[in-house]
Amino acid sequence: MTPPLGESVFEVFARKSRGEPLRHIGYVDAPGVELARVYAWKTYDEENWFEMCVVPRGAVIPVNRPEGPWARNLPTEGDDG
Amino acid sequence: MTAGDSTPTPLSRHILTLADTKRLLGIRYSDWILGSPSIETGIAASSMAQDEWGHARLLYAMLKKQGFDPFEVEHTRPAGRYYSAPALDRPFGDWADFTAAVVVVDGALAVALESFAAGSFALARTRVPKMLAEEEYHRRFGTAWFARLAEAGGDARARLNESALAMLPSTLAWLLPGDDVYDGLAAEGRVWEAARVRERCEDRLAATLARAGITLADVDPARDGWDADRRRGPGAPGEEAVERARGDRNRDLFVE
Repeated sequence: MTPPLGESVFEVFARKSRGEPLRHIGYVDAPGVELARVYAWKTYDEENWFEMCVVPRGAVIPVNRPEGPWARNLPTEGDDG
Repeated sequence: MTAGDSTPTPLSRHILTLADTKRLLGIRYSDWILGSPSIETGIAASSMAQDEWGHARLLYAMLKKQGFDPFEVEHTRPAGRYYSAPALDRPFGDWADFTAAVVVVDGALAVALESFAAGSFALARTRVPKMLAEEEYHRRFGTAWFARLAEAGGDARARLNESALAMLPSTLAWLLPGDDVYDGLAAEGRVWEAARVRERCEDRLAATLARAGITLADVDPARDGWDADRRRGPGAPGEEAVERARGDRNRDLFVE
């Protein structure tokens, strides 16, 4: 579904402690990076997170699956930029 | 002692000013949990409302050692004995009001809290820093939404400008009362002196407000009808909000 208000989708990753790997915990729709940071922190506040990050969905490059939510981000063959 | 039947000490007045403004701000934020521009925005409004109420409760608790009964202060006062910023007396009319309040009122509150945390009152030094850490997300939210509406131009920018300019004079007077009571608190080292508060307010708000064509340095505090006891301009929060703040409809259920 296309987000409203010209918003983009940001994937949210977090970990509860320094030694724990980051895990995907959800996503938010936001019009930009600053609001994505706020929305992520306020939406996924059920834990006392040690670290949280947001990544624009468009920046996630699939490695082994040519289908799925990130398929559109696959680079064209020969394009390494 | 309650805040409704006597003039509070300067320190108590300061705490009531902060606590009541947070309580009212929480109510005004909560009005937009549904009906804000997106689901995520509503969730943020909900979280910010809860932050404000949590902070208010911590601030009211500071009154205990000042001879007040926090329960009485929170649950029995009439609207005319609230010390909240006048910009919160009425509900926000639209999203421009909400956005302006996050920047202007919440921003002024954060400056007042920074000043209080840096002073000599031990409870403020230990409890307020965590509030300020939570407030950082309110600042980011307000700055981003203010920029968004300002950059949209047209009616959005005009409404934002109008809304912020309507809130600023009374909020600056609330933040900078310019009276002997406040100056006495500053002399005791409880809070920053007024000039430093104004300077910090400029640091925090001026660049954001400028996006909507507002020059903060040109805005004067509105002191007409000043009520020194309540450290605010005339008027009072609407009864509809005070009933919620006091928890009138839950009164029979109080078990504390």
